[in-house]
Amino acid sequence: MRVRLSEALRLARSAPGNGAPFVVVLACGFTPHLLQTFLAAHLQRAMPTRRVVVESGLFADTAGTLESAVRRDVQAVVLPLEWADLDPRLGFRGAGAWSAAAIPEIAASARSMLDRIAGAIAALPAGWPVAVALPGLPLPPLFSPVGVQASAEELALRAGVEAFASGIAAGRGCAVLHSGHLDELSPAAERYDFRSDLASGFPYKLGHADALAAGLSALVAPAAPRKGLITDLDDTLWSGTVGEVGPDGVTWDLSSHSQVHSLYQNLLAALASEGVLIGAASKNEPAAVERAMGRADLLIRPERIFPCEVSWNAKSAAVERILRTWNVGADSVVFVDDSPMELAEVAAAHPGIECILFPGNDYPKAFALLRRLRDLFGKPRVSAEDALRLESIRQGEVFQQSAAGSAPETFLERADAEIAVDFETGAEDNRVLELVNKTNQFNLNGVRCAPAEWRARLARPGAVLAVIGYRDRFGPLGRIAVAQGRVEGSRLHIETWVMSCRAFARRIEHRTLQTLLAACHVGELYFDFAPTARNSPLQEFFGGLLEALPTGPFALSREQFECHCPPLYHCVVEIKEAKTYG
Amino acid sequence: MDNIRASLLKCFEAVFPALSPAEIEAATQVSVAAWDSVAAITLVSVIEEEFGILMDLDRLADLDSFEQVLDFVRAEAPRT
Repeated sequence: MRVRLSEALRLARSAPGNGAPFVVVLACGFTPHLLQTFLAAHLQRAMPTRRVVVESGLFADTAGTLESAVRRDVQAVVLPLEWADLDPRLGFRGAGAWSAAAIPEIAASARSMLDRIAGAIAALPAGWPVAVALPGLPLPPLFSPVGVQASAEELALRAGVEAFASGIAAGRGCAVLHSGHLDELSPAAERYDFRSDLASGFPYKLGHADALAAGLSALVAPAAPRKGLITDLDDTLWSGTVGEVGPDGVTWDLSSHSQVHSLYQNLLAALASEGVLIGAASKNEPAAVERAMGRADLLIRPERIFPCEVSWNAKSAAVERILRTWNVGADSVVFVDDSPMELAEVAAAHPGIECILFPGNDYPKAFALLRRLRDLFGKPRVSAEDALRLESIRQGEVFQQSAAGSAPETFLERADAEIAVDFETGAEDNRVLELVNKTNQFNLNGVRCAPAEWRARLARPGAVLAVIGYRDRFGPLGRIAVAQGRVEGSRLHIETWVMSCRAFARRIEHRTLQTLLAACHVGELYFDFAPTARNSPLQEFFGGLLEALPTGPFALSREQFECHCPPLYHCVVEIKEAKTYG
Repeated sequence: MDNIRASLLKCFEAVFPALSPAEIEAATQVSVAAWDSVAAITLVSVIEEEFGILMDLDRLADLDSFEQVLDFVRAEAPRT
């Protein structure tokens, strides 16, 4: 939905006065004010608790703005590159020397400027998000006497920009705005405001400024990807009703005019390989579904779909069981079904779940569905823990079933649990900050942390970062907990402590505190605790140690902890030396 | 209050949120410190978007008060 300028002005001013600042450098060569407003508006909307400030640099000095950003206290850098940034003669305001003779010099100047900008980007601290949009405005009629033909010189210039983009995306990890995405929201012919460019130095029509700002904002502050997708089976995962046509009668291929289902299966398989949880909820005969899921030509491996809830009961109940198994909230999940009635029933029972109609052979809608799902689950990078997620949930199921079948102490004692506590993880490890920023239930205070803030915390004297990994005889869970704080004399002041909900019921939290007390040589732990709407598991854990639920920050002595700590059976296999930063 | 005046008031409010409606109606580039060149360009963009008109950027210097801008918009808006 297009944001009008008056609305953008209002949004940009809606920052809470006491919100933590989120300062963004807008590095552009044109008059920035209107793009600055739209960018501030979109970022403020994405981060309503922060106080977004968008700062710009000098006119026509994009590279200089980037080079000086490193000396400023900022959280992100945004670079909407335009041709004039590479050489003023590539813009309409500075096109005083158009001539065929000047082209080689302009091309060399552009290459040199791209190198300078790439160097400035490389010099930015690694944790800063950098969002880049490639030139999207028309070039002056410099290169070719016939507008319909692309000249070799112009193609070389564009290739140079593409190579630059490829380099900063692969090397520095910059987020480059997808030009195809922008093309759809803002067609090329609707972007350039010739009058405004010549009169005030602002080259964009307002619609393009809004679309560009929205895209760059989404790169700087991306929406949290959904964690799981629950799919219907009949006329969704495949075409046909398995109970009527049999397991061999359902189809997903071109010759049966059901290729859409094939593409859908492929997309689910790709999402599953990136750590997205895939489940199924179907009103069906379990035996028939089992045979269909066993077909060798199914494009997603059936073990990737877990749980697969098949019964004649309400879909909402199946969804409930799947959410419980995954231990995720409905608002992290998408439900896809071909029946509007089933979607409505699930939506009513699970507020927050996103219900999407599978459109069958309505091809435009099917095309849109595939792209929508890609966007809902897409993430900038896939970590090793993402790939482990489904396996650890299966492992958790086995763990819980085994625990239910034996006395807790006996079970934990025989779990062959190993804990790795790593004190040498660097501030640049994305998985660590990702865990801090997406964990809700076992989270000390719910405070989210931007990369620059995280680095600043770890740069202080006495800073401690412990990253905890776990495995037992049921399999590995990967790195599942993070504690961050600083040693202050004889106590460790813990500012951040999170643990994945997949790791509950294993006494990992107890072992973590025990290890911190020992490794940091302190007699007391001080927690920056704050109750949140979702951290009741942590509140209950603290309640067990304190004999009362805490309501705010508190201290816990070594004696208090030892008095309430249950027996621990984990083998602590790797404790690298406790390291203080700064 | 007529529709054009009310809509223009909203445009000014968007650009100069610290001003009351009465202050906006009396506003001139001299009396409002925040009405600098950047604010002027922003105001023009908001007004153009709101009324679907194109303002003559060469005449901006003449449009230096709320009433002047109102007269201009009244003259331009009906033709769009």
